[in-house]
Amino acid sequence: MIFDATTIVYILEIVVGGLLVGVGVHFVPVGGAPAAMAQATGIGTGTVQLAAGSGLTGLLAAGLMMSVTDNIWLVLASGAVGAGIMVGSTMLTGSWIYAYAVGVPFVSAKVTYDPITGFSQPPYIAPGTVGHGIPTVCFVSGLIGGMMGGLGGAMIYYALYLINGNAALSAMFAIGIFMVNAVIASWNIQGTIEGFHDPKFKKWPFAFRACLIASVLLALASVLITGGA
Amino acid sequence: MSVGGSAGGAPSAYEPKKLRMYGLVGSIVGIYLGSILNSALNTEVFSFIGALAAIFAVVMGANSVRRVCAYGIGTGVPSIGMLALGMGIIAVMFGLSVAETLGFGMLGPIITLIYAGVFGYIIGVIANKVIKFNIPVMEEGNADLSMAGALAILGWSFAISGTLGYEDIVTDVLMTGYIAIIFIAGGLAILHPFNANLGPDEKQDRTLVNAIMVGGLAMTATGIGALLTQGLSEGLLQIIIGFAVWYYFFKMYYKLVKRDASAVVGTGLLPPTVQ
Amino acid sequence: MDAFSMGLIAAMGALATVAGASEDIESDVGSQSNPNSQVQLAAQVGNPHRIYNKAISGEPPANALWCATAAIVAYTLITAFQMPALMALVAGASVAALFNGVFSMSSYFGRNSSQARFNQWIYLDIVRYTTPSIMAHAWITSFCIATISYIMVYMLPTPHPFPMPIIALIWGLAVGAIGSSVGDIHYGGEREFQNRAFGCGLNTMLSGQIVRKAEAGLRNSIDNAWFCTKFGGPATGMGFGLTVFLDNWRTTVFDPVSQASYAILMGVLFILVEVAYNHYIERSTRRKYGPYPEYKGDVAA
Repeated sequence: MIFDATTIVYILEIVVGGLLVGVGVHFVPVGGAPAAMAQATGIGTGTVQLAAGSGLTGLLAAGLMMSVTDNIWLVLASGAVGAGIMVGSTMLTGSWIYAYAVGVPFVSAKVTYDPITGFSQPPYIAPGTVGHGIPTVCFVSGLIGGMMGGLGGAMIYYALYLINGNAALSAMFAIGIFMVNAVIASWNIQGTIEGFHDPKFKKWPFAFRACLIASVLLALASVLITGGA
Repeated sequence: MSVGGSAGGAPSAYEPKKLRMYGLVGSIVGIYLGSILNSALNTEVFSFIGALAAIFAVVMGANSVRRVCAYGIGTGVPSIGMLALGMGIIAVMFGLSVAETLGFGMLGPIITLIYAGVFGYIIGVIANKVIKFNIPVMEEGNADLSMAGALAILGWSFAISGTLGYEDIVTDVLMTGYIAIIFIAGGLAILHPFNANLGPDEKQDRTLVNAIMVGGLAMTATGIGALLTQGLSEGLLQIIIGFAVWYYFFKMYYKLVKRDASAVVGTGLLPPTVQ
Repeated sequence: MDAFSMGLIAAMGALATVAGASEDIESDVGSQSNPNSQVQLAAQVGNPHRIYNKAISGEPPANALWCATAAIVAYTLITAFQMPALMALVAGASVAALFNGVFSMSSYFGRNSSQARFNQWIYLDIVRYTTPSIMAHAWITSFCIATISYIMVYMLPTPHPFPMPIIALIWGLAVGAIGSSVGDIHYGGEREFQNRAFGCGLNTMLSGQIVRKAEAGLRNSIDNAWFCTKFGGPATGMGFGLTVFLDNWRTTVFDPVSQASYAILMGVLFILVEVAYNHYIERSTRRKYGPYPEYKGDVAA
């Protein structure tokens, strides 16, 4: 195989894609088991689960776009928008349950005033909990995180497809690289995070460095793989 | 979700070193045996040996999940399984492709194993030094998981395609999409045993028997795949052997459950509480 | 854009809604994923129970397994044996349901026998009548998602380049993530703790105090599922249905080759509408429910 300038570009694209996935996981508001009982703010699931679900939906949209065009901006944009719609629908229908079935207002206990809307938070927090629901700052943060994940997945798929030209091989590879980066980022988060207003968010440089090392190794392996017959 | 007590130190009757050796040797020998028999006798009947070899790798992976998750890493058990398979699939494709490009097709499994072990170890080092976990068994546990995932995928891919050649595996396993079931069934085979037996009274033999049972189920799934890629007789052989493995070890699992549970009753009211 | 492809998109949206609803009920009947942590905790704080403790990883990998199984069986039957598509999908879903039964039973047995020191019994009648219900809902979920994957690969005018089983795997991960985020709140925040006051989150003092004694007799998982089908299941169905429908509707109305930018702008519009709707719900709940009377601080409401 030929090792020249375009190969370096592909390696960079895979590395940047992996970093987007890893840092994007920090934006998604995940409350874990307590959020499923309306005991903590955020979506009531695990970090890897939601990141995988949304990022891979973006990969699906990007794969369709890649089969009809070669324009990198269209492929990346469709991956981001596909993932964004999935995260948005998830959070919106979750909000229906919090508002109408459990009957709680949306608040976070980590800030006194919502950074985006300015609503006050402490008077609306149920006693014995640390917030519940998905306030606007968490919703916007979740959209940013989901779209970054979709963007990263689409970028990885784009580079792999141009290297080996095989859609199924590139898709499974992209899924594998996505999983590795998402799990490393979730180890950094240690369970729950509320978005970019959460003090835990300041830990993102650790995940950046870890995902950088892992993505470089994975990118070097990927460029050596041919597409098969 | 490990709420309220995991295996705390993971007491084991079988040492990790012995299980690692059985796992690695069993799966590598199985894959090479199946491949050599297939090419020497010009048939595809011996592909099922690859699926049995994958079960050895799965048991090794399930035990390393026990050891790593006993320290409480903050995320759930499922993420570890997905990580193992993510690392594994890249190692398998890399190993087979490089072996084919270099011209030594039979070296594929060895290159896969070396890459998987090294990459898993590096991820373990990252977890301890960059993310600051400081878990003692993290490096070797991660290397174990990566190798287990890679060998399980390799074994099951060989069971579906019948040879270790890179082009054949891409055509038979990836283009048809059977890699999807290998990926997820392998991941669940490694993570389900510990997750399903989570609790203070978890016993290693019950967990590992569960792993073999799920491996038998995955073999049935690859048998269904082999119906398309290899033919009716090879596929049916794998389905029948997979079903037999599953049945035998499910009965053994149920016997161990009856041994360990406080009571197995046909029906009843709530038990008297123990505070 | 023509009538046939718009009809297919409508069918995909409907199938996705049904799949989302049945996935959530399957996880509620088995008490899977996050609310299961309370079921696990209950025995450890002295509340043994008759709830089905199905702990098969999280919902995304588990649902990915059922959907991928259905897809590979259907793909094999369609390609090797030329079976008609609908029969092949039915056979695939049946195999997936059988796998689900094995995993569910092994998890109930395993988790309860690992809690022997808390005197949590294994009830064989619970296994006998709850497991078929779980398997049935998994059948519906995997059938619908395998059919969606089949339509995307074989029937749409711009077919998808990925193979059918990989698409089923990805949609399985997505439906599991949505079911875990949406429907499980109705089960965990409402039904599991129905004996506490309505209108507030779960107080940490109440952890582990799940409802074990029902209206007449002992509470079991079938009672829980009955409740959650009223709201949690359909809401989850809406979530997954919106995702599948809005994603594919844009690329069918606007031809991906020539009008791709319109499709992307349409997607951005949908996202903005969702942000606005969530903000409206947030303001409405603050206005109608008001602050909690127990609040003694000095931040103005």
